Amino acid sequence: MKLSSFRYIAPQCFKSMRNNGWMTAAAIITITISLFLCAFFWLLLLNINANVTDVEKDVRVLAYVDFDVVPAERKEIEQELKWIAGVADVSFVPKEQGIHTLEERYGDSDLVESLGGVNPLPDMFSITAIDTNQVSAIAEAVSQIEGIYEVQYGEGTVEKLLSLTDGLRKFGYVIMGLLALCAVVLIAMATRLTVQTRKKEIMVMKWVGATDAFIRWPFILEGMILGLVGAVLALGLLLFLYSRAALYVSINIGFLNILPLSAVWAPATGFTLAAGFLLGLIGSMFPLARFLDV
Amino acid sequence: MLIQTFNVGKTYKNGIAALTDINLSIDYGEFVFLTGASGAGKSTLIRLLFREEPPTAGQIMIGGRSVTRLTVPEMVRLRRNTGVVFQDFRLMEKGTVFDNVSFALKAVERPWPEIRRRVPEVLERVGLGGREHEHVMNLSGGEQQRVAVARAIINNPLILFADEPTGDLDPKTSGELMQLFDEINKEGTTIVMATHDQIIVERMQKRVLTLKSGHLIGDAVGGWQL
Repeated sequence: MKLSSFRYIAPQCFKSMRNNGWMTAAAIITITISLFLCAFFWLLLLNINANVTDVEKDVRVLAYVDFDVVPAERKEIEQELKWIAGVADVSFVPKEQGIHTLEERYGDSDLVESLGGVNPLPDMFSITAIDTNQVSAIAEAVSQIEGIYEVQYGEGTVEKLLSLTDGLRKFGYVIMGLLALCAVVLIAMATRLTVQTRKKEIMVMKWVGATDAFIRWPFILEGMILGLVGAVLALGLLLFLYSRAALYVSINIGFLNILPLSAVWAPATGFTLAAGFLLGLIGSMFPLARFLDV
Repeated sequence: MLIQTFNVGKTYKNGIAALTDINLSIDYGEFVFLTGASGAGKSTLIRLLFREEPPTAGQIMIGGRSVTRLTVPEMVRLRRNTGVVFQDFRLMEKGTVFDNVSFALKAVERPWPEIRRRVPEVLERVGLGGREHEHVMNLSGGEQQRVAVARAIINNPLILFADEPTGDLDPKTSGELMQLFDEINKEGTTIVMATHDQIIVERMQKRVLTLKSGHLIGDAVGGWQL
């Protein structure tokens, strides 16, 4: 199709939107709501992922060393730990450092003295896994090593967290899919209405020898415009509400790590505009096939 | 031959046979009337000839090509060489004369300077010179049909199909339209026109194909045959 044909196609598209004002408005509102909710869930998943990643980074296996283990044996244990599959890093935490950490946590400057001059803590190894899913297997392997008397890794908590985030992800994807489907159906309905009102014009176009592309483009353009207008409105609303929510969360819910607006606006813009464009394109293509059967 | 049909038939899904075993040939530059009573199959044959719908039997050849086997680009090319006029004009009611006529050039993606030049020319040709900015709904029936004819001939088609173009017009306006068709035919355009208007057929004295109950029962030059 010739580029100059857009001189005809573009006005047709705007004329059609004006003539079917109510349907156009209804389609834009629905697309805005659908895309807003889609992008909202997407941002929610992005934040959940960021928080889960933070939590995952903190998941460690703590291996407490028997009190009677001598430094040479401790070196051997450290080597064995490093050989376990899935282990990313092993660091030795002597009991002096352990008590110092406790002193810092509880604000007691001389915890040993308050405990009667004896440090009751054992030496330990802090082990991080390459993949959080491997933590329980690593813990099991660590517990088999001679000289280790106890292993802790927050049993159950990690599994629950992973299961919860996985469930949330799946739920988010389903909701996003359903909302996208709603938007496609609405755009298809708007296009169908336009096609019906311009049925005679389409027939005349066919009789005089217009190409399929020439007949299709005004409708496709209309769908893309509906999708993009809905996307821009959804994006404006989303970024405004997100900036407010980010501020509120950072002040009131300190332990949650919400991604700043500066980190999300670019991907959110890309996601929403691309989704609007694609939904418009897909929605507008369905109703045309029947009328273009030459 | 420009148009040839071989044992063409059309049976609709409800079982009604609109056309049976139609064999005809129309040469370049001919003016042919398809006549017959209402329901004889005239409009169906016109629709098959301009490939609005396919036949259920037989072959239709236009310019040596079977219209049922055309690819989409070939179909587009065929339609650009074919003009169609209907009894009910089928104009875009919300548009002006210019909108309606220029539409046929826009649809085939002609450049804008050509559109601006060609539309007044063709309107002059059909007797509507200087009226391009009038709204089509403000025109008389005869004038609206002239707009439809202008739209049909603006691409200089080889063939002009007309399905009862005078059906909604008074005798005087019908006569003027037939004079216009005659002039267009004399310029080289083949015209195939379905009509049940006996007076027009008698007056024009052209080749007449007569249909009855979906069968071709007559093919002769002259007046009304039934």
